[in-house]
Amino acid sequence: MQANTTTNKSFLQRNRYWIMLASAILLLPPLSFLFQFTADNNFCGSWCPRMFFVWRKGMSGSEYLMGFIRSYMGVSLVFGILASTFFFGRYWCSHLCPIGGTMEGGSRVLPKFLKINYSVVPAASFRYGYLAVYFIASAIGIGSLCCNYCNFATIPRIVGAAFSQADVSYFLRSAGLVNLGLVAGLGFIAQGGRAYCNLLCPLGALDALSNRLGLRIGKRMLIDSTKCNGCTACARVCPTWSIEVKEKKAGIDQLSCMPCGECRKVCAQEAISYGKSAH
Amino acid sequence: MEKKIFFFSLAVCISLLAATYRWTDSAHSIGLIKASGGQARHASTFESGNDLYTLIATATVIPPYRGDARIVLEGSPEIDYRIHSSDPVIDLGIRRQPRLRDNVLYDLQPKDRIALWVVMKPPVLDPVCNMAYQKEFTKEHLDGKDYFFCSDGCRTAFKAEPGKYRGGESIRGNYTLAFYDTKTDKAVLRVPLIFKGKGELKDAGEHHH
Repeated sequence: MQANTTTNKSFLQRNRYWIMLASAILLLPPLSFLFQFTADNNFCGSWCPRMFFVWRKGMSGSEYLMGFIRSYMGVSLVFGILASTFFFGRYWCSHLCPIGGTMEGGSRVLPKFLKINYSVVPAASFRYGYLAVYFIASAIGIGSLCCNYCNFATIPRIVGAAFSQADVSYFLRSAGLVNLGLVAGLGFIAQGGRAYCNLLCPLGALDALSNRLGLRIGKRMLIDSTKCNGCTACARVCPTWSIEVKEKKAGIDQLSCMPCGECRKVCAQEAISYGKSAH
Repeated sequence: MEKKIFFFSLAVCISLLAATYRWTDSAHSIGLIKASGGQARHASTFESGNDLYTLIATATVIPPYRGDARIVLEGSPEIDYRIHSSDPVIDLGIRRQPRLRDNVLYDLQPKDRIALWVVMKPPVLDPVCNMAYQKEFTKEHLDGKDYFFCSDGCRTAFKAEPGKYRGGESIRGNYTLAFYDTKTDKAVLRVPLIFKGKGELKDAGEHHH
């Protein structure tokens, strides 16, 4: 693919780990001070980015809209993320999300022999199977995936448990332990640390759609196929296993890619860049 | 293509199982704190027989109520409980927040939102007379499980008809997490909690979200 791009590795991609760390400190309760500007202490309540867009059986139109008003900070966050992704790619997911960042950070400090490689799972298929149930189970009133399996509740409470008894309580119940298992198994001990993001995050699933929809307009990670020699180094480091090498040419699945730039760092051919597609 | 369909279907099946599963050792109650009595959106139901339960109780203060509220878990036999509030670790004082000390919420004001975690440890009961465990009770290992009896009479009755009494060692029935205004002693919110036996509950846990 011909690309109209900058060749220098960008500031955002060179400094991603520092940005992730800063973002985790700034956005992750209980240390984050952001939540204290509202009546909340965590991502629940007005900051909830997961519940407001799900319609539940028996809900009237005005109740649905009330959910948007109740979660006004979460609504702003989600629409801000989707809009920025449309034009610039999934920088929220790769750099700013304190939930994904904590899982990836945890994974990076753990030894390699502990890691599980999930790349055999076709991420988009699994992710949208999960997202379909996320919407449908609530709509037909058979159950919900919203709060019981919330990554925005689990990760902050793992951190918070060091400071607050209320957060410890989350892990004294079966559902809390299951969530701990999920973020550990699909995050901390996943190769690349992003299997949870790639498979089970509803916000990530919506964000990936925005990434795909804005492909022709916005900036994305691109591979120059004339330079690519099919060495597969990029595919091996991709935390969202979104690069596939076919007939000695690498291709990016924009339904899973986020602009972390890990592939770009290892590409000896300098075939990978961030920019606007020439098409 | 088959692989994609397989994993899509797998995700749907696992997610459906997860969405419909009822967590029976925990619940989430949502309530309104009102001077005139307050209301919980629904009763929280738990499955009897666990050693530990957690309830997250969130509530909004409805104007014009303001004051301090004492929180009590009411019901018999008594359950050992601890209440924790989700307070900021480092409070910048940007927004005033009600404070929880010794199970009293201080300085509740209109539109405040509270989020409390209630950790409940129910007592073990004599399965025959349902008395709560005391140190004089004697232990008996029957059918792979420990039972505690207050007297030889209860032990004999249990051994004669274990099927009749099995399950009686765990608490059942109705409890209330009650919030009382400390000045008037009137309830400003009552959250019903129901402990049911296995198989008796279809609506346990926090499935309403």
